Amino acid sequence: MVSIKDYESSYKNHWCPGCGNFGILAAMKDALVNLKIHPEQLLIISGIGQAAKTPHFLKCNMFHALHGRALPVATGAKMANHNLNILVNSGDGDCYGEGGNHFMHAIRRNVDLTLLVHNNKIYGLTKGQASPTSDVGMVTPLQPYGVISESFNGTAVALSLGAGFVARGFSGNMDHLSRLIQEGMNHKGFSLIEILQPCVSFNRVNTYDWYKKRVYDLFEENYVPDNLENAMSLARQWGDKIPIGIIYKKEKTAFTDRIEVFNKGPLISQKYDHRRLMRLLSEV
Amino acid sequence: MNIDITIRIGGEAGQGIQTVGNLLALVCQEAGLYIMAINDFESRIRGGHSFFQIRICNKPVHAPHHKVHLLVALNQETYDLHRKDLDFDGLVVIDKKEEPVGKNILTVPFGDLAKEAGGKLFLNTVAAGVCLALLGAPPDLCKSILAKQFGRKGADVLEKNYRAVELGYKAVKDVSFKWAFEWKPDTPKGSLIDGSKAVALGALAGDCRLAAFYPMSPATGIMSHLTSFSDRFPLVVEQAEDEIAAVNMIIGAAFAGVRAMTSTSGGGFCLMTEGLGLAGITETPIVIVNAQRPGPATGLPTRTAQGDLQFVIRASQDDFPRFVFAPGTPDEAFEITSWAFHLSEKYQVPSIILIDQYLADSLFVMEKQLTAPVNIDRFIVKDEDIEDPRKYKRFSISHSGVSPRALPCAGKALVVISSDEHSEDGHMSETIDDRISMVDKRNAKVPHMIKEMNSPKAYHGESGILLVGWGSTKGAIKEAVDLLRGEGIDVGCLNFVDLWPLPSEKVKTALNKKERFFVVEQNSTAQFGQLIKEQAGLVHSGAILKYDGRPIYPNEIVEGFKQFER
Repeated sequence: MVSIKDYESSYKNHWCPGCGNFGILAAMKDALVNLKIHPEQLLIISGIGQAAKTPHFLKCNMFHALHGRALPVATGAKMANHNLNILVNSGDGDCYGEGGNHFMHAIRRNVDLTLLVHNNKIYGLTKGQASPTSDVGMVTPLQPYGVISESFNGTAVALSLGAGFVARGFSGNMDHLSRLIQEGMNHKGFSLIEILQPCVSFNRVNTYDWYKKRVYDLFEENYVPDNLENAMSLARQWGDKIPIGIIYKKEKTAFTDRIEVFNKGPLISQKYDHRRLMRLLSEV
Repeated sequence: MNIDITIRIGGEAGQGIQTVGNLLALVCQEAGLYIMAINDFESRIRGGHSFFQIRICNKPVHAPHHKVHLLVALNQETYDLHRKDLDFDGLVVIDKKEEPVGKNILTVPFGDLAKEAGGKLFLNTVAAGVCLALLGAPPDLCKSILAKQFGRKGADVLEKNYRAVELGYKAVKDVSFKWAFEWKPDTPKGSLIDGSKAVALGALAGDCRLAAFYPMSPATGIMSHLTSFSDRFPLVVEQAEDEIAAVNMIIGAAFAGVRAMTSTSGGGFCLMTEGLGLAGITETPIVIVNAQRPGPATGLPTRTAQGDLQFVIRASQDDFPRFVFAPGTPDEAFEITSWAFHLSEKYQVPSIILIDQYLADSLFVMEKQLTAPVNIDRFIVKDEDIEDPRKYKRFSISHSGVSPRALPCAGKALVVISSDEHSEDGHMSETIDDRISMVDKRNAKVPHMIKEMNSPKAYHGESGILLVGWGSTKGAIKEAVDLLRGEGIDVGCLNFVDLWPLPSEKVKTALNKKERFFVVEQNSTAQFGQLIKEQAGLVHSGAILKYDGRPIYPNEIVEGFKQFER
């Protein structure tokens, strides 16, 4: 048995009071307990940013990597040991800005992991600059005339690259988000869960109230996420109504299942074969 | 009789010059001769000018020779460019459609003969046949090599190749070549190998399980070789989206518990410096091979250099320990690559191996039989090795600076790692105590790492005057020493493989009480000379530097030395 208590970390939290990350952290713990995953069976890999600090605030194995680089670290870890349960905590700047190239290619590979993109549409850790997902017109101290570039749509990009699990959650709806995380972790292959998250310190536009007025639940709508074109229009829906739930789901062969040598077990468990190596060396 | 013949075959990229060269190399090796061959080519797929140069000797040879005895010009440009390098009695063989003027020129209609043999494709084999006929090699030797090479492609292909050789032989049957020699039956002296293959084999012998890379000349050959082994070993070779991903993938893999490497050249290494720092602060063992080419930026993509030494020993911000090695020969490349994986895990630090285009792409006869370790020592702890796994701390302070390394999800011990400065338990920390103790802990490894570093290999090290080099210049420097000693000049040399952390005391011992020493390097500022000055307080009397992107020749070192010692 595993309980929420097993996940309690004594490490002091760094987030601002009221931060959307608390809801995400609670949903993660709830999902992990429901999935009966023990802390020692869990590996969380993260980049840099307030979202990427998440693994410090619960008990787990973790690698808090560089800005934007969580996904290649996770891909390498998965190749070394494809039995690892990997969660990745990243933010809109970390994943879509600094790590944009890795985001695209991790989807192409279909690495079996669950990526949580905490999307607060602002740079929090560096104190309030626009992020790739900030909406056009958002005014910040560094963008005083408003953001002039189009907002990056991670869910639509993921769909166009062939991602097999694309979902959107809201940090203000813990149970809903927990369900998405459970579904994502149960999905074999790359799972993207983009989480709409207010930044109470720097984002004055996309607040709790702003989201609460707009989000609607795709589970309640009995939406069936099996059609790519429908999924694409939901991914692009923004403004007065914003859908949350599983946008698209399709089983595809995961990256590590496409590599033959893994049929013999994880790389980490395979034996060093001195005799075979000596045979090769004698043929050189 | 002393055999020492240099053949240069030149033409356009895409004409299969390398195929001719490889065939010659294989025939010579099979006949028990020694060869050393360089590939000189431009960064393009078709056209331009490229050449293959093979030196054939009956004694071990480790460097190219500057005088050409036989020039096979597949086009006029080759003749125009290389005639200046011909030995006084050298012979040029050129396709008849060009009309060069000059002495010792033989026209052979390569194109027509190839068509007669079965098509344009067989031009390479015709050219090889011409060279071997001129050298006096028995035609059957070439045919037996062809049978090994093309036997699988079917009888037709093989027959046409045989025919191409015969036509090549017939074309020069009445020509006597000054350097023809008697081919006595002998057994091969060693295996034919380039530096890339040696590094790849070394990685296997180091139990490397993941190799991630982004294609970049001249480093891609290493990954091609590794890929060719990946069907027989627990090894995955993954082409990453960029060098940043490649280095982060191997960090992830090493963290999760397998030995992992990447290979790149200077420009790719620039992108990897961020990851190098990550390996530094997270104490993750990785191996990075930097096959150097001239820079900065794109520089000369297909050419050779030793310009990255000062860069790689300091790359990435702030201080952290790392190993840097530069093998001089394929067997050293094999040994040090394998050993780098061991040392990286023993000290939980990144290792960098510096090779260059010359070592990566040149062919050598390697006499040493390669061997792999019987067991791999992994320096990894499990729950049963830890007093209380629930209290495990990945970065616990130890006298040696090395903390017990557990793997994630391998037991009750939780492995917590952060690229932020951290406390012993791996969590982010900004306390003054943690910062100082972690920097000190990482630096505490250095004295132990220095003890692992070997002295340079000395050749006539007792001499009062020494030439000092590192990496792939070893063969040329040793030959230069022989040439100078042949002239009665008492000179020796030191060749460094283990560069960083520099074993200053060993350097001082090797250079102690010398009248003078000169550094020989393929960069423009004597980077290693500067390092010796900084680390050992010894100043070189002069620097023999070559930075034109081409391999250094023994005679250039001799001439460079004489500039100082006139």
